Amino acid sequence: MIQSLFDGILVGAILSLGAIGLTMMMHILRFANFSHAELLTVGAYVALVFDAVFSALVPAFATKWGSLSLTAALAVATLLSIAITGATAVAADRLIFKRLRENAGPLTMVFASFGVALVMRNVISLLFGLQTMHYSNDIAFAMVISLDPLLLIKPDQFFVLILALTAMAALHLVMTRTPLGFALRAISENPPLAQANGINLKRMVTITWMIGGGLAALAGVFYALTNQISPIMGRDLVLSLFAATIVGGIGSVPGAFIGGFVVGLASSLALLVIPSGYNPALPFMIILITLYFRPFGLFGEER
Amino acid sequence: MNRTGFFALPALAVGTLIMAGSPAAAQDCTTKIGAVLPTSVDWGRPIAETAQYAVDLFNEAGGVKGCKVEMILRDTQVDPKVGVDAAKALVDLEKVPLLLGAVSSGVSMPILTSVTVPSNVMQMSCCSSSTAFTGVAEEGKTKGLWFRTFATTRNQAAVAAMLIRDKGYKNVAILYKNDDWGQDIGKLVAADLEKIGVKVTANVAINDGQPSFRAEVTEVLKTKPEALYLAIYPAEGAAVVREWVSLGGTQKMVVANSLRSDEFRDAVGLKYLGDVVGHDSAPPRTDAATSFVDLYKAKFNSEPNGPGLPNIFDAVMISLLAMEAAPELKGDQIAAQVAKVTDPAGMAVFPNVDGLKAAKAALAEGKSLSYTGGTGAVKFDKNGDVSAPAVGWTFSEGGTSEQTYFTLSDVDGFIASISK
Repeated sequence: MIQSLFDGILVGAILSLGAIGLTMMMHILRFANFSHAELLTVGAYVALVFDAVFSALVPAFATKWGSLSLTAALAVATLLSIAITGATAVAADRLIFKRLRENAGPLTMVFASFGVALVMRNVISLLFGLQTMHYSNDIAFAMVISLDPLLLIKPDQFFVLILALTAMAALHLVMTRTPLGFALRAISENPPLAQANGINLKRMVTITWMIGGGLAALAGVFYALTNQISPIMGRDLVLSLFAATIVGGIGSVPGAFIGGFVVGLASSLALLVIPSGYNPALPFMIILITLYFRPFGLFGEER
Repeated sequence: MNRTGFFALPALAVGTLIMAGSPAAAQDCTTKIGAVLPTSVDWGRPIAETAQYAVDLFNEAGGVKGCKVEMILRDTQVDPKVGVDAAKALVDLEKVPLLLGAVSSGVSMPILTSVTVPSNVMQMSCCSSSTAFTGVAEEGKTKGLWFRTFATTRNQAAVAAMLIRDKGYKNVAILYKNDDWGQDIGKLVAADLEKIGVKVTANVAINDGQPSFRAEVTEVLKTKPEALYLAIYPAEGAAVVREWVSLGGTQKMVVANSLRSDEFRDAVGLKYLGDVVGHDSAPPRTDAATSFVDLYKAKFNSEPNGPGLPNIFDAVMISLLAMEAAPELKGDQIAAQVAKVTDPAGMAVFPNVDGLKAAKAALAEGKSLSYTGGTGAVKFDKNGDVSAPAVGWTFSEGGTSEQTYFTLSDVDGFIASISK
């Protein structure tokens, strides 16, 4: 039980990171971006590449920190990956979504995002192959926190949880305490009015994509660190991300945060009650139940 | 002697001439048989080529009842709908009394129930392993027209249980792929283990494409098994095993042939796989199996490494011998003769040209045969199923290496002992 709780919280933290970026984009750009989950994959692979580069260039960077499988090389690679994935998201916007936003309806945008997802996934498959990879091929062993009730935690997981919470807290501060945050929220509430007040819409859209892409990269690296890297990791996560976003209420950053934990905990705890064969249906169930009682999600508002 | 009419005599005469060493007599007549195989996928083509090769060998030995055999081949595209259409065309338009195929159980089954059985056509598959066919046969719905030369999942599950028994594990948790095959083998292994007194602590389904298998692994870990049995595919297998090992789970594992892959070995790491043993079906270690390998190498200039090659070869040979023995070329009459050409007490027959000539002469004298081909001395049970020898293998630097060999009588003996 305690083990399932902890596992759920960990998966939830990673889902929250991804869902926050997704919900921001959905709110400001007003379309469901199905290619968002692929940004997690991009982030994980970019970090994989630079991790290998730095480890080769600076051998001292390749030593592991304590009992973590994290190295200095991977830490620097992750920072780079956040920037590059953010830039990838902006590039996808400039090349595809921006043109469609000007001329086409929201439904076209949704279909385009499916296309972008396919292209991203297949380019990664072509470059890296379909097999699963890991930052470190050694298996990081879990620490036994308690035997009865059984509680096993990997140092990596604990570290990832702390970092994810820190990143989300930092984002919360930015959104609520800085002019940039006010501007972003103003744009998402009422674009014409915000523009009339001198907020540069284009710049804000770019920043939204940067933040969304950066958070996705972080989520991707964290997921890869605690699970594995594969070209289809985004596809495997997309349903859970949307479930988290919808449960939290589209557009609500705190909602996405909570939504991630709801989905993570539910899929972990559900196994105590239902056979694992039904697990893939769980995100749908969560979406259905939430929308039945709260049609706009836990924290969403009618628009 | 089986006198079905005056016209049977020339055929016998031809057979006698061939026995005397004269060149194959001119054959003016043709006997059509059908084959539905997935020729559009890369592992399906060699199966079709091997089938054609077996037909050619049989023709070289004089054909069926003195007539040249023509195999009409249709592609299934591994699609049940396409397969059924192809089979229907062969049965209705070409009037074939015998259909070879298909490969996948999901294609063979609708062909069996909707095409061959209603039209009284005998069907023999090289490669369908589902135990669903056994069920259909037991209900009498195959009317004895169905055979396969590939050992069933039943057989694989028994070998898994034997490996676990030999390792002396007393508590085992099972993780199976959540599809037809995985559910089938997971259930069978669990039942077999209970019978030999091994406790199954957990039986957990693994779905494809899950973001994390942590919850599933934790569920199993709580039951504290001494060893794991895994019937999953490489990608999920690697994720599950890494998670399992990192949480301090036992590295003692028995795995299905699906994990006999470099991808799995590399993703998990050889150093964690030292206590892993896997099972797979194997060709028998007999002269006949070797002679099939020799024949194949002489013809195709490569080792018969693809799936189902000795199995399709034997399927063709047994079917054609049964046709030779049948009074008339009708599905039920041919099927009734299969037992006669795969009779363990019969004359041993090896599927080269000389062997086939001898076999046809023996059939003409009314003797029964024990066909011994690429998969050994084939023996069908009442449901048209065969058993097969098996190997236990371990991971090694270069891939996998075989460790233990279970002969056909080991496997059959074990299945008989737990079926009591």
